[in-house]
Amino acid sequence: MLKRGISFVLVLVLAAAMFSGCGKQADKPEPGKPALKVGMVTDFGTIDDKSFNQGTWEGVLRAGKEFGLETRYLKPVGTTEADYMKEIGNLSDAGFKLIVCPGFKFETAIFQAQDKYKDTKFVLIDGYPHKGDWAPVVKENTVSIFFAEHESGFLAGLAAALQLKEGEFGFIGGMEIPPVQKFNWGFQQGVKYANTNYGTNVSMKAENVIYQGTFDNVAAGQQLAAQMYDRGVRAIFTAAGGVGVGSINEAKARAKAGKEAWIVGVDVDQYGEGVYEGNKSVILTSAMKYIDVAAYDMIKAEKEGKFPGGQILTFSAVNDGIGIPKTNPNLSDDVYKKVMDAFAKLKNGSLKVSDTQGDLLR
Amino acid sequence: MTTRAGREYILSLVAIVLGLVAGAVLMLLSGNNPLLGYLYLFRGGLMNIERLGNTLATATPLIFTGLSVAFAFRTGLFNIGAAGQMLIGGLCATAVGLTFPWSRPVLLAAMLTAALAGGGLWAALPGWLKARFNVHEVVSTIMMNWIAFWTVFYMVPRYFKGPFLETESQKLPDTASLKTQWLSALFNGSYINLGIVLAIVFVALTAFILDQTTFGYELKAVGFNRHAAGVAGINVNRNLILSMTIAGALAGLGGATFYAGYASNMQIGVLPSQGFDGIAVSLLGANSPLGVLGAAIFFGLLHTGKGFMNAMTRIPPEIADTIIATIIYFAATSIMVERVLDRLKRRRAGQLPVAAGRDTIAAPKKGGAR
Repeated sequence: MLKRGISFVLVLVLAAAMFSGCGKQADKPEPGKPALKVGMVTDFGTIDDKSFNQGTWEGVLRAGKEFGLETRYLKPVGTTEADYMKEIGNLSDAGFKLIVCPGFKFETAIFQAQDKYKDTKFVLIDGYPHKGDWAPVVKENTVSIFFAEHESGFLAGLAAALQLKEGEFGFIGGMEIPPVQKFNWGFQQGVKYANTNYGTNVSMKAENVIYQGTFDNVAAGQQLAAQMYDRGVRAIFTAAGGVGVGSINEAKARAKAGKEAWIVGVDVDQYGEGVYEGNKSVILTSAMKYIDVAAYDMIKAEKEGKFPGGQILTFSAVNDGIGIPKTNPNLSDDVYKKVMDAFAKLKNGSLKVSDTQGDLLR
Repeated sequence: MTTRAGREYILSLVAIVLGLVAGAVLMLLSGNNPLLGYLYLFRGGLMNIERLGNTLATATPLIFTGLSVAFAFRTGLFNIGAAGQMLIGGLCATAVGLTFPWSRPVLLAAMLTAALAGGGLWAALPGWLKARFNVHEVVSTIMMNWIAFWTVFYMVPRYFKGPFLETESQKLPDTASLKTQWLSALFNGSYINLGIVLAIVFVALTAFILDQTTFGYELKAVGFNRHAAGVAGINVNRNLILSMTIAGALAGLGGATFYAGYASNMQIGVLPSQGFDGIAVSLLGANSPLGVLGAAIFFGLLHTGKGFMNAMTRIPPEIADTIIATIIYFAATSIMVERVLDRLKRRRAGQLPVAAGRDTIAAPKKGGAR
């Protein structure tokens, strides 16, 4: 199903690329109604962060190309609610009436924006609007999107454990916030699932589960990874943006020197990030969130007049919103098949992954 | 004195024009119409009363950090630590605001006092290190930035976090915010807050201290020539520490206006960029309080208008950031402009070019003493 979903999307992209010229003509705005323009505001970091911003923007661009829409992203000066409100206002004033905001940091800004800019629609990814008291207020012009990170982490943990069979695993997180924690807890459950059901012998120690505290400290990511590998860790799951990039660099350096060092990527397929020689990569697999699909789907829905305003949606295994990459050169076919079995079970509900800590590490 | 100050302002204006021209070249290179770009940039910051309010709100912390850097400059000290002092000021204000259930006027006064004291003490340490051990204040204030960064990183989640998020403090109650109903209403829902009033008061106050008091005279004397000031009977060490303390207090207040006015909580893991922009503001404002006020508002305009320019043109955000940075860069080169003008003038007068006496940014200004 996942495979089919992806190939279907690929076909769509190809078709869009072939007909993009004609598409624009066909999509002339109806008289009296201005053409839809789609904007995006980044929360922090750059647009090419290989993760959240980039994933969202790719989805926006794809929809823009397909439907012939004008697209634009803005980068706020700071990370306060006021900074976000300013950029949202700029986009709305400039006629961008559908605005995608990736990141929980937008929660209180969207809470205000949905009232202030009633003619504008908002897609909030990884958060829901509230006034600062965490009581959700999702108005008709807003849709709020969450991902089942724990399911994604679970599949990646399962894949990594099945592939390496035994040894120590580690986790490096960015800030200790719910999406990152859910990745971590899901990953640990995936490892346990492999140990229980497939007889693998992988363990995780508390000292190897670390939240660095930022999403941009590349040097710290490299250091933390080096320490873990020195302690005998074989594979590290990084859910940490730029910090993870540092860890990947460390793993690449070690792999180049002939030592074993694996990384499990996050958010997007990070295989390309981990290439150290030819097409060999340190990325075992990646715990993916299809952010681009979410952004694309919402724009498509708005275009078709079916914008799910007022709702809080969850993208999980059930609607193919999470998963591991379709191709994993570092995983054996047998492992991939077992992971897909688990995916199918998540999908039909016969397997449940907890999104809380329970008796797991941190 | 007046002509001197007038000349400095003209130099700053020339620097701004140079910056705008450089920005225009960048816009041209990226295939955009500079006139249109600037039109939207300025409209974005001034088009309506709300945007004007946002420009002033963005300028508020910059006024404080600019004053902070300028004040230390006058004593020959280079305060790179305004960012850290802002953080500590903001932390103190937030701590008071979240802890005490006092009535609004008392609470706000207590928060501002705490911010002032916190920022001041934070900067007093590098001042003392400078006075006692001659530790260079550039190094120590930069290091203090990181100590402040990690202090906030520890304190906020430990003591002031909200129910869910580990990375932000609880939101300040309305009674503890510098945002005021009548002011927001006056500016049509903008982010403007009482901080701007406070900033203007402190511009006047620093101008008064520097130009009208014996204390200010002593500070400047130490800045012009420490040894001469010492020989003349001025307590140099005391003035160095006091100057840093006051600079830190100003930045600390800036932190309070930022975290309890412009924003309504503190985020961890962010060193406020206003601290460093303060250096450019101070340079562009010729290190004078009034100049700082003007320069900060100009910067506020650039930062506020940038997004609208982005949205209305095809200039990508990264190029827009580069354009703003270029304008700031050129704007901060007023000293260079002065040198070039001086050289041209001398050449015309047939004199040999004399090596200019102002080799470092922090060097004193000739003829500034009364």
